[in-house]
Amino acid sequence: MNRTFQWIDERTGLSGPIRAFFNYPVPKYVHRNFLYTLGGLTLISFSLQVITGILLVFYYDPSTEGAYNSVDYITYILPLGWLVRGIHHYGASAMVILISLHMLRTYYYSAYKKPREINWLTGVLLLFLVLAFGFTGYLLPWDQKGYWATKVGTEIAGSVPMMGAYITKIMRGGADLGQATLTRFYATHVMLLPTAVALLIAVHIFQLRFHGMAPPITERAKAQSKKFLPFFPYWVVTDLIAGLGLLALLVYISYINRAPLEFPADPTSSNYLPRPEWYFLFFFQLLKYFPGKLEPVITIAIPLFIFGSMLLLPFIDTSEERRPWHKPVTTLVSIFYIVVILVFTYLAMAEFG
Amino acid sequence: MAISDLPPLDPEKGEWDEKALSRRDFLEAAVVFGTLAGAGAVAVSVPSMRFLVGKSLEPPVAQWVELGKVSDLSANDVTRVNYSVRGTDAWREVTKRGTVYVYSDDGGESFVALDGTCTHLGCIVQWHDDEQKYKCPCHAGFFTREGEVISGPPPRPLRELPVKTENGVVFAEI
Repeated sequence: MNRTFQWIDERTGLSGPIRAFFNYPVPKYVHRNFLYTLGGLTLISFSLQVITGILLVFYYDPSTEGAYNSVDYITYILPLGWLVRGIHHYGASAMVILISLHMLRTYYYSAYKKPREINWLTGVLLLFLVLAFGFTGYLLPWDQKGYWATKVGTEIAGSVPMMGAYITKIMRGGADLGQATLTRFYATHVMLLPTAVALLIAVHIFQLRFHGMAPPITERAKAQSKKFLPFFPYWVVTDLIAGLGLLALLVYISYINRAPLEFPADPTSSNYLPRPEWYFLFFFQLLKYFPGKLEPVITIAIPLFIFGSMLLLPFIDTSEERRPWHKPVTTLVSIFYIVVILVFTYLAMAEFG
Repeated sequence: MAISDLPPLDPEKGEWDEKALSRRDFLEAAVVFGTLAGAGAVAVSVPSMRFLVGKSLEPPVAQWVELGKVSDLSANDVTRVNYSVRGTDAWREVTKRGTVYVYSDDGGESFVALDGTCTHLGCIVQWHDDEQKYKCPCHAGFFTREGEVISGPPPRPLRELPVKTENGVVFAEI
């Protein structure tokens, strides 16, 4: 065994880096703190999406004529198909929740501050890509829900001044939703986005390792900040336990509530109320309050402002202060956004019943 | 900095090549390399973009679809027609479907056809006979019988389609 290991090491030189990776010192205040497992859990949920996604590709048929039936087959006929699609379907929501919580934790701990700006920027891009995953994946079953949400979604992109019409057509691969749209969304969902996300995660984790954990903000944590534990097994085991908990939860939800599949896409239905996945609902609801010419305010200006201010955050908030209770501006801004999202999500849900 | 100014290598490993081009000279050569690499990137990315855009921006092929016989269409009321027509969708032969509303202003002599697609975000509008208006179920956009916007978010009237009548059958161009 030792000789085999030595043989491999002489040829790959990997034992040093691997040992360094596993022995990485993690501050004690981080260990067994749920707030610090959120990043790892997001990574685990991404891994679950990759595994179930690869499995689904074995049966999914990316054609307007076959997509619906193949998803129906996966969900109702294929052995354990309900489980694989269920984990993928609910796992997507879990990933959005986890990445959001992870981001909020980072925000309230001011972990985006110097020298961790690039880590924050890659995180914001990752959030954006995760939402793009949700948007492109939604269409793939080619059912009513996906078809109409995509029709509305691509139409929203069309409200960009001057070039909106081009953007909509390029997104759809033509004037209308059809085969070209489905293939585009499929290619983006299974090739482009996974590659981009994997690369960004690598940069994100490398940055984390390079800078280490952001300084603690509570007195209790500060008292422990000079005590360290090796990454393996302490942190790894904690994250794995949390990850298995997540998997168990996804299996349970998939079992009691099959991943939904509505009627096949019907371009002529006028009583179907299009609605996006729950994490886009507040945005969909906001559209109602900005009629006609004001629409680009909500479709373009506000998302650009929010996304732009997230990207600029570490360069605007450059103070040394890290405790959220001493930083009323950033704290109140975040609470404002959270309240807006919750209220409009609630209003939309109340309307759709 | 010349190569010889670098910290010496482990003698067992060897030594720096004294005759190598100075870094400055080499970097000047690197500018040439950079230009070539940039040109190469453009040479690859421009056709790639063109490939990805594909035929997205081409106007859809107009098709005449049958809305029904003159005798079947109401002379006074708005008729909803769900058409289906064989057509090409990218590389696939499919049945294209859509919704058109047809009405007449002259008691059935001629017909007007409106595309049922809401100009706001593309949902299909519903005709409400009692209120004499179209309503979009998505964001509560309202249109008159002629397709003009009454209220709500739609930015434009409903699209009017070219209509022709041949041998007692009404067609609209979609």
